Amino acid sequence: MRQLLIGDKCGAHTVPYIEVKNNSSRVEHEATTSKVDEDQLFYCRQRGMDEEEAVALVVNGFCKDVLQALPMEFAMEAQQLVAISLEGSVG
Amino acid sequence: MLEIKNLHVKLEEEEKQILKGVDLTVEAGKVHAIMGPNGSGKSTLSYVLSGRDGYEVTEGSATLDGADLLEMEPEERAAAGLFLAFQYPVEIPGVGNMTFLRTAVNAQRKARGEEELSAADFLKLVREKAKSLKIDADMLKRPVNVGFSGGEKKRNEILQMAMLEPKMCILDETDSGLDVDAMKLVAEGVNALRDEGRGFLVITHYQRLLDHIKPDVVHIMADGRIVKTGGPELALEVENNGYTDILAEVN
Repeated sequence: MRQLLIGDKCGAHTVPYIEVKNNSSRVEHEATTSKVDEDQLFYCRQRGMDEEEAVALVVNGFCKDVLQALPMEFAMEAQQLVAISLEGSVG
Repeated sequence: MLEIKNLHVKLEEEEKQILKGVDLTVEAGKVHAIMGPNGSGKSTLSYVLSGRDGYEVTEGSATLDGADLLEMEPEERAAAGLFLAFQYPVEIPGVGNMTFLRTAVNAQRKARGEEELSAADFLKLVREKAKSLKIDADMLKRPVNVGFSGGEKKRNEILQMAMLEPKMCILDETDSGLDVDAMKLVAEGVNALRDEGRGFLVITHYQRLLDHIKPDVVHIMADGRIVKTGGPELALEVENNGYTDILAEVN
């Protein structure tokens, strides 16, 4: 489970829930929450992208596994939605 | 081309002065090398010039072709022609190497008021440049630097440099983590970009990189200043005797 926080008015709550019907198994759960990485943003900006473009690129990369699983037409739209909803949310 | 005058820099978060008056001019067409012991401020200089957060310039100036670098955002410096080959290239999961390159190239073209490269022209250009750096199609498709070996990461930096065609290239310890063959490949990539309109600042610990990328001028940096400047023979002196003699002589 991975979460990405964007902007200063958000949070993430993860509730682990694992149902096991086998008394000999060992199970684990894991979750990470991160902000958009400063080093990644600086790397993109050093190559010429402005801050919004850099955030959109990094966030879309983060979401790629999920977006990729969507049917083609939804995936395209979802990608654009991510870019639009990020406008002005950097900081 | 690149003109640094009396540059003083401290860390933003704490009272620690890193650069204590750096003076350095890199002319177009020249390769300048900066050598120096750990903690002398070499990497800080490259970060301050490229605009990374966390540093405060307390005195001095840095200009590129007369334009004040320190007033610009990082992406404006890039579009003005400043390129930094990172010591530790950053991984960006989920973003294809090719997508990253194309976004960067077109962002810079847009900032300079030029037309974006078409997909076909871009593809042709990237294949041609990648070939000479022995970067295969698979590496272009993989996410930026994710799972790349040390040599692949550094070759990828040089590919970005070749695609962006900057005026002023700063290479921050590009030789670190490279074996001899990878270093030769990287040096060939850099040498192919040498021309009279382009300046290079090569930061390195070791003389061996300078065997392959022949510098015009060598500077020794220690404790936040350039303490000695000379020709390529200065790098050999460091290789043979270490920094101790030079630093003793300066002090």
